[in-house]
Amino acid sequence: MGVAHRFYMQLRQPKYTYAFLVCLAGSILFVTSDGHLFQSYSTSEWVTIYAMVAAVLILEHYTFQLPPEGNQQSMDSSIYLAAVFTFGVSFALFVLLISSFVLMLYDRSMKWWKHPLNFAIYTFMITGASVAYHLLGGNAGAFDIKHMTAYIFGLTAYFFINVLLVGFYYFLLYKGKLFEVIKTFLTDAIFAYLSTLLLSLVLVILIVNNRSFGLFLFLAIAVLLSHAFRRLFVMYSKISDKVNTDQRTGLYSHSYFEEKLDDYIKESREKDIPLSLALLDLDDFKKYNDAFGHPQGDRLLGFFGQIVKAECEANQLLAARYGGEEFSIILPSYTKEKAFQFIDGLRKKINDTPFDGVDVFPHGCISFSAGILEVNTESFDKSQLVGWADRALYVAKSKGKNTVFIYGEVSNLPQRLEHDINEIEQQIKIFLSKDVYTFKHSKRVFSYAVDMAEVLNLNEENRRLLVLGALIHDIGKLEIPRDILNKKTKLTNEEWEIIKKHVLWGKEIVLATNKYQDLAPLVELHHERFDGKGYPHGLKNKEIPRLARLLCIIDSFDAMTTERPYQDTKSFQEALNELRRCSGTQFDPELADSFIQYIESRLTQDKSANPVGTEAI
Amino acid sequence: MVYDGIVIGLVIGLIRAGWRSGIAALSQIRIKGGMIFPILLGIQLVLYFLHGKISFIEQYNGYMFMAVYVAGLYVLWLNRKEKGFWWIFAGVALNFLVMLVNGGKMPVSIEATASVLGPAYTQMLTDGTAVSKHIALSDSTILPFLGDIIPLTSPYPRSQVISIGDVVMNVGIFIYLQNVMLIHKLRASFVETN
Repeated sequence: MGVAHRFYMQLRQPKYTYAFLVCLAGSILFVTSDGHLFQSYSTSEWVTIYAMVAAVLILEHYTFQLPPEGNQQSMDSSIYLAAVFTFGVSFALFVLLISSFVLMLYDRSMKWWKHPLNFAIYTFMITGASVAYHLLGGNAGAFDIKHMTAYIFGLTAYFFINVLLVGFYYFLLYKGKLFEVIKTFLTDAIFAYLSTLLLSLVLVILIVNNRSFGLFLFLAIAVLLSHAFRRLFVMYSKISDKVNTDQRTGLYSHSYFEEKLDDYIKESREKDIPLSLALLDLDDFKKYNDAFGHPQGDRLLGFFGQIVKAECEANQLLAARYGGEEFSIILPSYTKEKAFQFIDGLRKKINDTPFDGVDVFPHGCISFSAGILEVNTESFDKSQLVGWADRALYVAKSKGKNTVFIYGEVSNLPQRLEHDINEIEQQIKIFLSKDVYTFKHSKRVFSYAVDMAEVLNLNEENRRLLVLGALIHDIGKLEIPRDILNKKTKLTNEEWEIIKKHVLWGKEIVLATNKYQDLAPLVELHHERFDGKGYPHGLKNKEIPRLARLLCIIDSFDAMTTERPYQDTKSFQEALNELRRCSGTQFDPELADSFIQYIESRLTQDKSANPVGTEAI
Repeated sequence: MVYDGIVIGLVIGLIRAGWRSGIAALSQIRIKGGMIFPILLGIQLVLYFLHGKISFIEQYNGYMFMAVYVAGLYVLWLNRKEKGFWWIFAGVALNFLVMLVNGGKMPVSIEATASVLGPAYTQMLTDGTAVSKHIALSDSTILPFLGDIIPLTSPYPRSQVISIGDVVMNVGIFIYLQNVMLIHKLRASFVETN
């Protein structure tokens, strides 16, 4: 019962259902179309069958790959097609039956149920090709130039049945668009496929005239071709390996790491699985280098890299040399707790590993500090992720090294925030002369942000992000000419385009100073709208980090309520109504609600404290 | 036919591995129950030598060959972990099967024999003289497709008629020899990439 139930549950997955149905239909087709029995072949026909089975097996063995990845090609189709054209469909199906059986016995690398699936798919293709061939007047036998259209039609039928059946399987497997899947299939495989099909015609001509020797000659050519393709692929992977790995440590290179990080982030967003990132830094490596020289230092790096590599590969993690003595590890489907466990285990293992000259290290062993970050919806792009992990690493270093810290759970030294605020304030003071309104606006948005951080009960790290981000968010306006910034009349289209650019300029300014890199998304995205109609990227919903969505609300609210000469000013009540109206379109409804409540509570407070005060503050 | 696979395997193996490391690798061969093979060969030779001299032996000749086969299969089974031995085992088993169901003799296709070896040999086969292990393939033969039906002739250097079991067995021998002889080379390249 248990087994049967499990089998049933497995079958309910679409790809298995599909495989099962194809197998079933294929077997039925096979049984109904094959009229011949074992005994009815003469011994000389048996010799041909053996030869063809051998050819299929050899070609299957010489399956080759085409770049870029996972694109398997084998030339066995040409054998089946030639069998259909010369000896008829039941002969071809019989060859298929025996070769599938032998393959199933000795090729254990494939999942067992893929063998019957392949068998069924081939049955469809062979039968389809035969039907098409006979429809256009082709007969089993020697090559006849008069039947050229029949041959071409047969080949086309074979190809399309293949593309459809296999394409649909991958469609179910990877949940892509069917059309897209078939398109990539066509563009990737069409040349190899076409040559396979044409080779079948060559084989037809050879096999009728010279039987076994013709087949042998064909086989030799096909094997050589397959071998050449294989060598090409080996060369390709060798070179791409060289590009993607760091020669010193054998780990992946920085650029490959960045490339893969993008892929993993995308995957984790789509499938909603956790993803963690760790940055490692060898402690006091400079000391070691100074004591023993660079060659020995390189040896230490190589040694360390090998351990990291072995540990990570055993757990299907991706480790890269980030640069110098810094290393980075991507931990797919790891939560930060699990990641911490792994990295801390790695740290202990490294501590316990002996190496020449470790006495110069303060801990008396090789050690590293590490920062861990779990990727979540808050994080917008990878420079920010690395920045955060780096911050955790920095804290780990400052807490005495040889430790691992998780970003966000670190008490991030509050006095530093104070200091950072002062520093950024100095930067925006430049607006005092250029555009005093922007200066005051930034200061007000900042104070709202401080309060909102309290209201939303943000953690230490997010509070810092929001507060500093609010203060610096319009820094890009430095680049906008005064004339446009202070223009009293309506702006032209070009001028608007320039204004819109301030978010990108701001991002560049923020990225330029290493320290505030993680503020970049707030600066860049505070004009994105919840419904996707904002700028610069038109992101929507959860694609925009939560804090950027919040900043957008605060920014808009302050812009509406700011007094500017020659412009309408909304009262607080009017602005709140506007927020309510646009909640769900321009603004995140949830955050807008919190903000509205906060402003309202402030208003009632002010009223009770100062009953005669006006609404405008 | 047994020797073809060995010879081809050795020649190609020596070319691929190089003379010295190829020979060195060959000297490292260890087969479980390896002593049984020469004994089996000895028994076969004795039977062949005594054939026609003692009627008792002639009567049970087929069964004795069967016994030799079973012992051989057992040795192959012992070594099934070696790469290629599964193929050898399968090939020998196929030959054994067809001989077993046909009274201890290997059915040979007359058609194929005539095309490759000429009429004289065909005559011997149909008469049943001189050839003790073989029998002409007829309608009453069981599993005829496992018999000696594959004609081998030029461009292959030797002319003979073989069975699918022979082919499978020789593939196994070839795979085994390649694997044994190239082991140094494979290991060397492994160290290199490290």
